Amino acid sequence: MVDGAGTSGVGVLWRMPLTDQDWIRAFARQALSDLRVRDLLQQANVEKCHRLHFLQMAAEKICKSHLIRENGRGNVQNVHTYTAKILPIIARQFYSRPGRKAAIPHWELSAIRHLAYEIEKLAPACDAGDLRPDNSEYPWEDSRGQVCVPCEYNFPSVDDGIGGKSAKAMVDLIRLMREAAEHYAK
Amino acid sequence: MAKLQTASELAKGHFAIDPSVRRVILLEPVKEDDPEVPIKLLEVVEGTIERGIEPVSFASDPANGVDYPVVIVEISPREFEEIAAESSQLREDLEKRGWWMGQELAV
Repeated sequence: MVDGAGTSGVGVLWRMPLTDQDWIRAFARQALSDLRVRDLLQQANVEKCHRLHFLQMAAEKICKSHLIRENGRGNVQNVHTYTAKILPIIARQFYSRPGRKAAIPHWELSAIRHLAYEIEKLAPACDAGDLRPDNSEYPWEDSRGQVCVPCEYNFPSVDDGIGGKSAKAMVDLIRLMREAAEHYAK
Repeated sequence: MAKLQTASELAKGHFAIDPSVRRVILLEPVKEDDPEVPIKLLEVVEGTIERGIEPVSFASDPANGVDYPVVIVEISPREFEEIAAESSQLREDLEKRGWWMGQELAV
């Protein structure tokens, strides 16, 4: 028998209604899987677009998990524009949980805010009014009339490398995302 | 650039950008001759979320002078004390991955 499903005495299929908590956990579990794939893609040194794509998808699902928790699923729109606003809120929230000694450092919150903004823009639906057509999934036409292919593009606005200035913040962002997703998945 | 030197440069960079970094320890084995084996850094960071031994992987980044894949394991000072103890769960978790603490990288 499928979880939450069964039959009544007269053979009519009945189903437990899905709750917000079911969806919160589901989005969080999928986000954790996205993060695991992001790690595998880094280890395999695949093209940056794929690494960023899984990071973007994980971020979006964690934010969705958070929003359903706060507002209920019925009040959460099916859009991609959550990450820039919600990830820094999640960061502050998780760094100020009981038992923690330190608030999130200012530099780190700024770096996470910047990364969250850039990660949000990776979704093809978030092209900022065609000002930012670059995205991690589909080819686009650049300002010189050339076709750009994600797997051949360097995405200079999102530094996910270990040698760049954002590396330290990226480590902390990923750890934060895992922490939040595991918390919401419970 | 050799792995050890690359590790030192990374550690210096992380000390410089994050004042909360207290110590950076190179995790063994380094396997200097095998470029596929990642550099593994154990970073002790004040105020970090305590999540145990949780590696974050990075591909090599030759454009920024890093020719090897890198793994960062960030822990709190309290967790570091636990790892430094003779027997602890965190130390076991590290050893299960076949890693052990090597030299400390200077600021």
